[in-house]
Amino acid sequence: MGEETTTLGTIHISPKAVATIAYHAALQSYGVVGLAPKNLAEGLASSITHVPAHGISVLYNGEEVDIDIHVIVEYGTRITSVASSVANTVRYQVEKALGMSVHNINVHVQGLRVSNPD
Amino acid sequence: MISPEAQARLEQFKAMPIDGQALKKLVEAGLTWLRANQQTVNALNVFPVPDGDTGTNMVLTMQSAWAEIDNLGHRNVGQMAAAVSQGALMGARGNSGVILSQLWRGFARALHNQENLDGPGLVRAFAEARDTAYKGVVRPVEGTILTVAKDVASAAKYALAETQDPFEILERVVPAADASVEHTPELLPVLKQAGVVDSGGKGLFYILEGMLRYVYGQPLDTPLATVQPLSAMNLENTLESIEPGQDFEVVVDFVPSGSLDLQKFYGELETMGTSIQVGEGEGMYRMHIHVPTENRYHPIDYVMTLGTITKVAMENLLAQMDAVGQKASPDSIELANVEPGQIAVVAVSPGRGIARVFASLGVAAIVEGGQTMNPSTQEILSAFENLPTDKVIILPNNKNIILAAQAAKDVTVKNVHIVPSRTIPQGLAAMMQFNPAGDAEAVAAKMGKSLGDVTSGEITTATRTVEIDGVSVEKGQVIALMNGKLVLSAAAVEEACMGFLDKAEAASHELITLFYGEDLAQSEAARLVDVIRAAYPSQEIELQYGGQPHYQLIISVE
Repeated sequence: MGEETTTLGTIHISPKAVATIAYHAALQSYGVVGLAPKNLAEGLASSITHVPAHGISVLYNGEEVDIDIHVIVEYGTRITSVASSVANTVRYQVEKALGMSVHNINVHVQGLRVSNPD
Repeated sequence: MISPEAQARLEQFKAMPIDGQALKKLVEAGLTWLRANQQTVNALNVFPVPDGDTGTNMVLTMQSAWAEIDNLGHRNVGQMAAAVSQGALMGARGNSGVILSQLWRGFARALHNQENLDGPGLVRAFAEARDTAYKGVVRPVEGTILTVAKDVASAAKYALAETQDPFEILERVVPAADASVEHTPELLPVLKQAGVVDSGGKGLFYILEGMLRYVYGQPLDTPLATVQPLSAMNLENTLESIEPGQDFEVVVDFVPSGSLDLQKFYGELETMGTSIQVGEGEGMYRMHIHVPTENRYHPIDYVMTLGTITKVAMENLLAQMDAVGQKASPDSIELANVEPGQIAVVAVSPGRGIARVFASLGVAAIVEGGQTMNPSTQEILSAFENLPTDKVIILPNNKNIILAAQAAKDVTVKNVHIVPSRTIPQGLAAMMQFNPAGDAEAVAAKMGKSLGDVTSGEITTATRTVEIDGVSVEKGQVIALMNGKLVLSAAAVEEACMGFLDKAEAASHELITLFYGEDLAQSEAARLVDVIRAAYPSQEIELQYGGQPHYQLIISVE
């Protein structure tokens, strides 16, 4: 995906690379305490392969990039605010690093972590 | 460093324990000072991330916290802090807002069940605030509000070695927060590149500084003598802060002949007017001020003495305010702010007082109208057409207006729900169920269901002799309507009111609210309340100014 032709040849950016950027951006977002595999199969696969981007799926249909992020959020935060700031941060970081625009970012809150029950 | 007056005020504060009410004042001061410096914080946003501006987000978060405690009478500091935390959480906006809400959450947890806030308690609260905030993220980024919270907590801890007094600790914490904010570019390269300090950290600093300024008795409404980049000057919004008497807006561009002594400059300007802003870009300064008519040339004359004026712009704010005022019909009523995607409620109100009550419950637009002055479809339509959302709920609050509301719904492309409230009390009961962020249809259904929870009474004077529903009425008599139906006639307001309460079985309800109209004196209304209180000792009775014409009283029994 993300092909660009230069005078020297073409540059390919793989979805995995995009996912890695998104993964790190998501983890730096406030309120996100982890990413979650979206299903059991992916969970098993990523634990075997150690993909540094589990919980992120990147879709590229030839024109537009869609990113799905599965996150665990800290209990006691305002979840909608956290989710929208994840989407903003990921969009900003991916667009900045790759110079291409991201069409949709879907944030799925897969669970909450309770570290401060009150 | 501080003035003798401030020192004296500080001593007064030190003599009293910080209970819930004192904390409330401090929170208010923090919010006010943050709001005064909102633009400065906004200007620090380096990321072009569209999640709103940091200053605005933090102000909205603090505002939500303030709304939660505004009416609380708790003496217990732990309970008050818990309420602040709750409010901040509910209103948390943007990244910095969420972090701020977590800071409050930790702060409140440390004070759980405490009667008063003492020095060691404050230190623990700052530490717990830091810990809670850090737990909310896997990879904390240093050089942000988190770092400032951390430095605040350590400064408080060190201060404890020297003093046990919470105010003296605050005195040491504020400069530490300032230094921490100034240090953020060293920790976060992106800040250094942009040549700014962290905005969230700066916002936190303003909240703390606001509290300290309140203790010192320093003003909280004018931003410090700071100069912002010209591009950051936001002169459009200054209209909001206009005060009566400040009729002219003067903007002067100038190049100072020497270096500008900002403290003195602000000091001089403050004697002339309000809403002072100073901007600077490439050696050129821009000064903005609101002044009374008779002072309108003073700022220009003053700036002349400082350098060369390149441009002067002057505008009569009264004309502008008229234009603004027409949009938000009943003046000075604070309507709810609607965000895109949220639900906006349009309520029809017959009087100023009732409109204000509706506004306080979250109504986004008011249409004036009632029994004898039904608003047109167009008036209802234009009340919501300009709101930045397509989800609208209309409360007609009168059976004769439901049709006009229906017509407005048919005309517009917006997604409109009508909650068929027939009386003011029904409309208010429905507003109790309102949630701007919910699903419009579900919210409207819930509001509709609540209409039956309240019995509405209206007391008015009969305009003709008639017999309806088995009640005969002479022209000039006082009549009472229950849920829109004529139930009795009487010689005076008091008799009609008591008769209505009897028919409404007020004795088996909990709350009686009276809205007195423009035809009834406040003293008379207050006397009525005493009479009612004597007859219904176990019910809670509230009196509000309704301002409606023709109806001496609108009564809600629930």
